[in-house]
Amino acid sequence: MTPGPASIPEDDLHAYVDGLLPPARAAEVEAWLAGHPEKAAEVEHWQRQNEALIALYPPVAPDSIPDRLRPRQLALKPRGVTLDWPQLAAAAVLILALGAGAGWALRDFDRPHGSTGLIASAVTAHALYVKENRHAVEVAAADRDHLVSWLSNRVARSITPPDLTPEGFELVGGRLLPPAYDDGTTGPAAQLMYQNAANDRVTVYITAAVPGEKNAYQFTSRETLDAFYWSNDRITCTVVGSLPEEEMKAVAKKIYTQLTWRPDGGAESWRS
Amino acid sequence: MDFLDEIESCVPALRRYARALTRNADRADDLVQDCLERAIRKRGLFRPTGPLQAWLFRILVNLWRNSLRSERRRGEHVAYDALVVEPSIPAPQHGRLALGEMNRALDRLPDDQRETLLLVVLEGVSYQEAATILGIPIGTVMSRLSRARAALRALTGSGDEPRLRTVK
Repeated sequence: MTPGPASIPEDDLHAYVDGLLPPARAAEVEAWLAGHPEKAAEVEHWQRQNEALIALYPPVAPDSIPDRLRPRQLALKPRGVTLDWPQLAAAAVLILALGAGAGWALRDFDRPHGSTGLIASAVTAHALYVKENRHAVEVAAADRDHLVSWLSNRVARSITPPDLTPEGFELVGGRLLPPAYDDGTTGPAAQLMYQNAANDRVTVYITAAVPGEKNAYQFTSRETLDAFYWSNDRITCTVVGSLPEEEMKAVAKKIYTQLTWRPDGGAESWRS
Repeated sequence: MDFLDEIESCVPALRRYARALTRNADRADDLVQDCLERAIRKRGLFRPTGPLQAWLFRILVNLWRNSLRSERRRGEHVAYDALVVEPSIPAPQHGRLALGEMNRALDRLPDDQRETLLLVVLEGVSYQEAATILGIPIGTVMSRLSRARAALRALTGSGDEPRLRTVK
């Protein structure tokens, strides 16, 4: 028998139990323990403790992750108070200024739910379809008349694809998407896709107006995507893309202006 | 691998550790969700060269410490799951520790010892990684580990003699 070390530091005994020693050192510790029954009993108890802890709290299966713990889902959620703060602050000021009777002003701020789900759906659909080449759209721009009548029918609003030629974007086509909410709050959605010479794609997600929803404007960034959302008494529209901010704003404004144009009063003014 | 996928690959380990810390499955998932939301929000501050898993664990531990602190302040009692433990656990065999007894003993450890021991044992991290995650020197990791193991040994009633347990 080789003469083992005279003593083993306690740290190494722990590391031995936790399987953190290199094999050669572990063998040394083992040999040493054989000659020191008292320490060996203690170390063995530690091993039993480890086994018991692992039995109490076994590994969690990766396929059992609930949706609420999926990072992708979480990334789509609005960012809570940080994002809403300016809106809330604005609402508070408004109330102070107008008095308690102006409480209605809060309604717009108070009910993010209509837009939240719509924006999330628009972003998800964007992320899903911009990657496609042959199947990016259901109906291509070449079939424009059909595209317009089909989507207008299904969404129950007349939808004329905005012209983004001055911004360098051509219409690729469009597709129909299921409602963002399954409780009937909104109907199906139309997605229009545009592309520029650099192959950057922008999508426009349009639904009929959400009943009871006031006009609203919202800008959100999710992952690498920016989304501009607005709604009026006729439609909701979410423009999604990953263009540089100024370009994104210009495109969104152009879309907004065209989609809100009315024969009677002209376009609503763009709030930037 | 993209940042979100990478986070997702750490979720099972985070849940396991959270379950052991909270001893309540729902509460554990709440804690993990908090941790993930925070991580996703703060990702701009994260230097991708560092190990992501350690960063996530660190966020989780800090959230857990905060919630313990505020509960203590409010004097709340938190229900543990009558757990996993009692019904499903077979009678201890010779040389094994009774799991129910072990779980009660774990309960009586100071928080800092418990979080250290569980991190090392369940997640198999090195002592250095544990020190990074817990934000303490490695010497403190070792002393907590040592005290935790000594306490558990005393609490589970085992002296130097290997003990045969009698079960009704």
